[in-house]
Amino acid sequence: MFCSRKKSLEVERIVKANDREYNEKFLYKDNRIHTSKYSILTFLPINLFEQFQRVANAYFLFLLILQLIPEISSLTWFTTIVPLVLVVTMTAVKDATDDYFRHKSDNQVNNRQSEVLIDSNQDQSSAPYMKVLKKLQNEKWMNVKVGDIIKLENNQFVAADLLLLSSSEPHGLCYIETAELDGETNLKVRHALSVTSELGADISRLAKFDGIVVCEAPNNKLDKFTGVLSWNGSKHSLNNEKIILRGCVLRNTSWCFGMVIFAGPDTKLMQNSGKTKFKRTSIDRLMNTLVLWIFGFLICLGTILAIGNSIWENQVGDQFRTFLFSNEREKNSVFSGFLTFWSYIIILNTVVPISLYVSVEVIRLGHSYFINWDRKMYYSRKATPAEARTTTLNEELGQIEYVFSDKTGTLTQNIMTFKKCSINGRIYGEVCDDWGQKTDMTKKKETMGFSVSPQADRTFQFFDHHLMESIELGDPKVHEFLRLLALCHTVMSEENSAGELIYQVQSPDEGALVTAAKNLGFIFKSRTPETITIEELGTLVTYQLLAFLDFNNFRKRMSVIVRNPEGQIKLYSKGADTILFERLHPSNEDLLTLTSDHLSEFAGEGLRTLAIAYRDLDDKYFREWHKMLEDANTTTDERDERIAGLYEEIERDLMLLGATAVEDKLQDGVIETVTSLSLANIKIWVLTGDKQETAINIGYACNMLTDDMNDVFIIAGNTATEVREELRKAKENLFGRNRSFSNGHVVFEKKQSLELDSVVEETVTGDYALIINGHSLAYALESDVKNDLLELACMCKTVVCCRVTPLQKAQVVELVKKYRNAVTLAIGDGANDVSMIKSAHIGVGISGQEGLQAVLASDYSFAQFRYLQRLLLVHGRWSYVRMCKFLCYFFYKNFAFTLVHFWFGFFCGFSAQTVYDQWFITLFNIVYTSLPVLAMGIFDQDVSDQNSMDYPQLYKPGQLNLLFNKSEFFICMAHGVYTSLALFFIPYGAFHNMAGEDGRHTADYQSFAVTTATSLVIVVSVQIALDTSYWTVINHVFIWGSIATYFSILFTMHSNDIFGIFPNQFPFVGNARHSLTQKCIWLVILLTTVASVMPVVAFRFLKVDLFPTLSDQIRQWQKAQKKARPLRTRKPQTRRSSSRRSGYAFAHQEGYGELITSGKNMRAKNPPPMSGLEKTLYNSTSWIENLCKKTTDTVSSFSQDKTVKL
Amino acid sequence: MKRKCQDYKSRLPDNTAMKQQQLPAFRLQLSANEILSGFFAIGLFCLGMGIILLLSAKSIREVEINYTEKCATCAKLREDATNFDKECNCSISFYLPQKMEGNVYLYYKLYGFYQNLYRYILSRSNIQLVGTDVKDVRNCAPFKTSDNGLPIAPCGAIANSMFNDTIVLLYNFNSSTHIRVPMVRTETAWWTDKYVKFQNPTFQNLSSAFAGTAKPPNWPKPVYELDEKDPGNNGFVNDDFIVWMRTAAFPNFKKLYRRLHRIGNFTEGLPAGSYSFIINYNFPVGRFQGQKAVVLSTLTWSGGSSLFLALAYLVTGAVTLLASFSMMAVHLKLKERKTFFLQ
Repeated sequence: MFCSRKKSLEVERIVKANDREYNEKFLYKDNRIHTSKYSILTFLPINLFEQFQRVANAYFLFLLILQLIPEISSLTWFTTIVPLVLVVTMTAVKDATDDYFRHKSDNQVNNRQSEVLIDSNQDQSSAPYMKVLKKLQNEKWMNVKVGDIIKLENNQFVAADLLLLSSSEPHGLCYIETAELDGETNLKVRHALSVTSELGADISRLAKFDGIVVCEAPNNKLDKFTGVLSWNGSKHSLNNEKIILRGCVLRNTSWCFGMVIFAGPDTKLMQNSGKTKFKRTSIDRLMNTLVLWIFGFLICLGTILAIGNSIWENQVGDQFRTFLFSNEREKNSVFSGFLTFWSYIIILNTVVPISLYVSVEVIRLGHSYFINWDRKMYYSRKATPAEARTTTLNEELGQIEYVFSDKTGTLTQNIMTFKKCSINGRIYGEVCDDWGQKTDMTKKKETMGFSVSPQADRTFQFFDHHLMESIELGDPKVHEFLRLLALCHTVMSEENSAGELIYQVQSPDEGALVTAAKNLGFIFKSRTPETITIEELGTLVTYQLLAFLDFNNFRKRMSVIVRNPEGQIKLYSKGADTILFERLHPSNEDLLTLTSDHLSEFAGEGLRTLAIAYRDLDDKYFREWHKMLEDANTTTDERDERIAGLYEEIERDLMLLGATAVEDKLQDGVIETVTSLSLANIKIWVLTGDKQETAINIGYACNMLTDDMNDVFIIAGNTATEVREELRKAKENLFGRNRSFSNGHVVFEKKQSLELDSVVEETVTGDYALIINGHSLAYALESDVKNDLLELACMCKTVVCCRVTPLQKAQVVELVKKYRNAVTLAIGDGANDVSMIKSAHIGVGISGQEGLQAVLASDYSFAQFRYLQRLLLVHGRWSYVRMCKFLCYFFYKNFAFTLVHFWFGFFCGFSAQTVYDQWFITLFNIVYTSLPVLAMGIFDQDVSDQNSMDYPQLYKPGQLNLLFNKSEFFICMAHGVYTSLALFFIPYGAFHNMAGEDGRHTADYQSFAVTTATSLVIVVSVQIALDTSYWTVINHVFIWGSIATYFSILFTMHSNDIFGIFPNQFPFVGNARHSLTQKCIWLVILLTTVASVMPVVAFRFLKVDLFPTLSDQIRQWQKAQKKARPLRTRKPQTRRSSSRRSGYAFAHQEGYGELITSGKNMRAKNPPPMSGLEKTLYNSTSWIENLCKKTTDTVSSFSQDKTVKL
Repeated sequence: MKRKCQDYKSRLPDNTAMKQQQLPAFRLQLSANEILSGFFAIGLFCLGMGIILLLSAKSIREVEINYTEKCATCAKLREDATNFDKECNCSISFYLPQKMEGNVYLYYKLYGFYQNLYRYILSRSNIQLVGTDVKDVRNCAPFKTSDNGLPIAPCGAIANSMFNDTIVLLYNFNSSTHIRVPMVRTETAWWTDKYVKFQNPTFQNLSSAFAGTAKPPNWPKPVYELDEKDPGNNGFVNDDFIVWMRTAAFPNFKKLYRRLHRIGNFTEGLPAGSYSFIINYNFPVGRFQGQKAVVLSTLTWSGGSSLFLALAYLVTGAVTLLASFSMMAVHLKLKERKTFFLQ
C-alpha cells in the first residue's frame, strides 16, 4: 500500500531520464497498479467498517447491544448474534475472494516483462560515473520507474506512458494501436523528436541520454500532452504526437525506445479508468430506506407500548406490585415505560430479520449461477460462457432503461468484408441472397478458389463465379474496376520475411477493398512517393503517381492521378455516391440509374457503399492543371480554396465504373437484439470513439436509425455557442414552436426541467434520433446546457455519440443516471469502455476478446452482444420478479409474525411478553420459513423463458419499478398486519372461556403460544404455496418439508427427554402433545388460516380478472396451451429498405495522402526522387505540421518560455 | 470456487434441467373456476362448522357465580394483610333450573389477574420444580430467598401468588339435608405436568426433602403440607399447585379446580335443584381490583363452550359465500368484454 502515501498535489512533473535517484525526490508513483481494495492487514478493519456502514448491519449490532442489557432484554442474545455473525462472515469471505482475484489480476499485469535500460551491476549504482554501464534487462512492469528507458517490440503492450525517443522506422516514426484506450483499431502514428530519433538503438548513447522532461501533472486527457524536453542545452516542445500511452500496442514497428513519463496509477489509462465504486441495486437502496422506515415504525410501536406500559403500571401494575412483587420498592412508572420501550424494540426487531439479508444474497448468488450455467449464453466458438462477475446486481438487470453500447467489438465484429460490387451495371457477390440467412449459407458454400491469385487471403470469402469468369474473360471494365481498387488508396505495403504481403491500413474499409482486389488478381505490391506497383493477373505493372487528391470530410472522395506504362494518364476516384454521381459524364446516365438501384439495394442490406469512377486525361490538359496546382500551392492567400477548386475541376466528367459494398460486420443477432430491446422499451445509446460516419452507418445497419425517422439531429458544433444553438434548433424542431424554450443560457432548475420532461413525453410523437460528436459533447455536458441535451436526447429514440473519450462515455452515463433517475447498463469490450462500465449501474464486458480490462471491470461478461437480450429479458426479468416476490412475501411474513406481539402487549400489561416461545422466534426465520421462500426466490418463473423473449413488453414492469416499491411495501405491510390481527384475535377470542375436551384448562400461555405459532407457520406456508407459481420438486420438498420440520422440532422440544436434560431451556414440555390433540385448537388454526388467506386470494383474483397484466394473460394462455408448442415470435424485420448511405468513412481527419507523397514513411533505402509536384506538396505543408495544427495543444511560445524559466 | 480440472476441459455448462432452469414443474395458475369453487366449498364448510359449533355450544350447561361482591366481608378482611391467619368462610346459594348432564367440572375464574406478565412468567425455577435441585432459585427474582436467607421452595412470583381458596359445593336436597357434592381433584392437571414437569425431590420424607428451604411469603403452610392426607398430591406434585403454575394467557382466565365424582345421586350429573358453594376465602383480589368466580360447566365434543368460535365460523362462512357470489358476478360480467391478448 505504498501508493496510499499522500503527497501534495502535483502541479508539474519533472523527470530526468536514466536517473532514478533524481526522480525519487519527487515521490512519483512507480508502475505498480492496484485495483484491489484490501491487503491482509487492512482487510478486517476496513471490511468490518464497510459492512457496519450498512444500515442493516449497524441496526443489528445496536440490537445486539440492547439485548445484552439485562433490564430490557426480552429475548436471549443468541437470537441476534448467531445470524449477525453468519452474515458478516459470509460477506467478508465473499469480499475477500473478490479481492483475491483482483490481486491476482493486478499481479499478472504487474509481472509482465519489459526490457528496461538499467544498471548492469547493482553494486555500482552508488557511483554516479559508473552509471553509464547500463544494459537492457528484462524487468517486471511493476519495477519500472519514472525516467527509465524502455525498449518495446512489435505487438507488445506499452507498459507506461512513454516519451518516444527512437524507433526502427525512419524519422523515428512508430505505429500504435489504441484500441484499448479509445476503441479505434486503425493505426496511429507517433514520431520521436528528430534529436532523439538519432539515438537509434545505440544502447550506450541511450544510456547517456539525460534529458529532463518538464510536463503537465498526471491527468486523464488522452489526446493532450504538453511538455518540454531539455537536452544538450536546447529545449524541445513536446506534444501528444510524441507520447505513447500505456495500453497501446506497438504495431508495424519492430522496436522503439521510450522514456517513462507517467507510471502506474498516473498513466492516462489508469487515470481514465475511474474508481471502483461499490454498486448497489435500486432495490438495495429501497430496502435501506424501508429498513429506516421500519425502524421509525418500530419506534412508534415501541412508544405506544411504552406509554401503555406507563399508564398500566400507574393504574393496574401498582396494585400488583405489592401483591406479586412484594419486596420491590415503589417503582417509577415512567421509568418502567422507558425500559419497556427498549424491550419492545428488541422483540419487534424481527420485522426486519437479518435472515432477510442472507436470503437476498443467497437468491442473488443462485441467479448468478443460473447466468453462468446458461447454455444459451455460451459462445461455443470461443468457448466462453456468460459470467456473472458480481453477484449482487441481478435484479437490477430487470430494470434497465438505458443501454449504453460501445460500437467496435460490441455491436460490430470490427471486421470489414468486401461483400458485393456492381461493375458496369451488374451485381457480383449476390449468391447467398436468395436464402436470406447469409452467414449460414456462406459456410456451406464452397469458397472460391482464387487460382489467379497466389497471394489470396484464406480468410477472404467472396462467392461469385461470374466475377471470376469476367476477370478471366478480360472484361475491361472489370479489370479497370479492380485496378482502381488496387491503386486508389492510402494503404502501405510491406513484405514480411515469409514473403507475404502485409498491408498497413489506416482504415479497415480501405483494407477490405485492397484485399479484395488482391484476392481477385490485382495485387497492390508496393509504393514509392511517385510510383505504385501492382501485379495485374500475374504481371507486374508500375504506375506513376502524378497527383494525390486526398480525402477529407467535405470532399468525401479521394482520387489519384496516375500514368500507366502505356503513357495514358488516368484519374481514379472513389467516394460517396452522391458526390461522385454529380461529377459523372452525361453519357453515364443509364449506368447511373442502374448503379443507383444497386446502391440502394446494398444500402438496404446495411452495407457501406462507395462509388467508383475514372477519367481519362490527356497530357496537355493535365499539365495545365498541374501547373495551376503548383501555382496555387505557392500562393499564400486562399490557398486551400484554390486547391479545392482545382480538385473540383479535374474530378469531373468521370466515367462510372460501379460501386463497392463493404460490410462492417455486425455481431450475430445484433439487429434482433436491438429490435427486441427497443420493444422492451429499453433505449440504446451508442457511445463510440469512432468517427461519425462509421457510427451513423452502424446505426443504420442495426436498425437503430431508420429512414422512417422524422428527423435525425446532428450536433457537431465546434464552439459552445454553436452547440447551444444547434441544440436549441433541434429542440424547436422536436417540440414545435408552440413551446417556448430557454435558449440555453438560462440554467434549468433540475426540478423544473424534470417537470417539463413529463409534459413533453406525452406531446412528442414520432421517432427522432440524435447524433452528437465528442467535441460538441464536451460543450453540451457543461452545466448550463446539459439539461437541454438530456431533454433532447431522452426524447430521441436513438442517440449516437461519436468520437467520445472514455471519460465522456462515463459522463454521459452519469448524466442519465443522475438526472433521469434511470437504471443504466453499459456494454463494451475495450479498455476505453472501462470508465463507462464502472459508472453505469450495470457494466457488461464482452469477453473472449484480447483485452481483458473491460471484462475485469464489468459486472457481467459474455461473448456476444446478442446475449444481452437473454440476460435482460430472461435472467434480468426473472431475477427482478423473483426478488420482488421474495421481498413482498418476506416483509409480509415478518409483519405477520412480529405484530402479534404488539397486539398481545395490550393484554399482558405491556410487559414485553412474547407471544411465542423463544425457540420459535429464533428458528422461525432461519428454519421454519426460510427454505420455501428461498426456493421461490431462486426457481420461480411466472412465464417461461421463451415467452419472456417473445414478449419483450413483459420487461416494462421492471423499468417502472411496479413489482416492489413503496406502495407495494405498504400493501405487504397491510397484508402482514391483517394476518397478525387474525393470528392474534381469533385465538384470543377462542381462548376466552375455553376448556379442553377433558375439561382441563387449555387457555394457558403456553398453549396459546403453540396455537398461534402453529397457525402462523401454516398461514405463511399456505401463502407461499399460493405465491409460488412454478412448483418444482424442490419447492414441494421445501414447503412440505418446512411444515414437517416445524412439527417435528415442536414435538422434540416439547418432549420429556429434552426437558429432562435442560429443564430451564425447554419449559414447554408436553405442550404440543396436549394442545395439538384438542379439536378446538385445530378449529382455531383452521379458522385463522382461512381468515388470513381468503381475502388475499379474493383480492388477487379480482385484480387478475379486472386488470390483468400482460404476464397474467400470458400465464393463462400458457396454461391453456400447455401441450401446444409455444408460439414463435414474429421475426423482427431484419433489414428494411433504406436510402443510400454512402459512407466514405475512411478517416475522421485527412488521410495519409501527404504522408505517402512526402515519402516520410518510406524506408530510407528508396531515396525519394522528388518531382516538382511532390516537392510542392511536401514543402507547402509538412504533414507533421499539419497534424500538429489539428491537435488542439500546440505548445504556445508563452508556456514554453515559462517552462524554460523554471 | 469448485472449478476443477475437468471443468476446464469444456467450459460448456452442463445440460441439466436444474442448471438450465428447466426443472419439470407444475405451473400454479388458478383458473377462475377453481378459485370460485374453492371459495364456495370453503364458505359452505365454514358455515356448516359454525352451525355445528353453535349447536354444541348451546348444549353446554354452564353456571358462573361471581363471589367477589357476595363475600364482601371476607374480601374486606383480606384487604388487610395482617389478618392472614384469620379464617373466613362465605356461603353462596344458587338454584340450578335444569340438571347438568354428564361430566361436570368446577372451575375457579379470576378477572384482571395478569398471569402473563413477562417478569411474572419468568419468575419460577423449573429445575427446582422437577426436584433435581430444591435450592435452585436462579430465575425466581424477586422471591428467591426468605428474609432469613433460605431459598424459597417453591420459589418465584407464580408460586407465591397461588390461588388458595377452597371451594365446596353442597347440594341442598331439601331445606335440611345438605349433601356435599362428591368432587375429585385428580386429572385436573396435564399428565406431563404431573409426572414429568413437577417432581418432588427423592427423599423418603417430604419434610426432610424440603429442609433448608423456606415457604413462599404468602403461603400459610410450607409446600410439603399442601395435602398431608395424600402423599401423591403433596409437595410440588399437588394438583392445585400444578394447575396454578400453568400460567394463563390472558388476564381473565378460569382454571380447573375439581371434577364431579359421578356416584350416588350424581351418576347422571348434577340434578336440578338448589345448591350452595362454601368458600374458604383466602385469595385477595381486592388489592388489584380483580374479581373471582366459580364456574360449573359441562363439556361437549370440542371441549368447553366455544361460542366465539361458532360465531367466528358463521361470520367467516357467510362472508366467504358472499365474496364468492360477488366474485362470480364480477367474473361473469367481465368475461364478455375480456379480449385475448394475442389479438
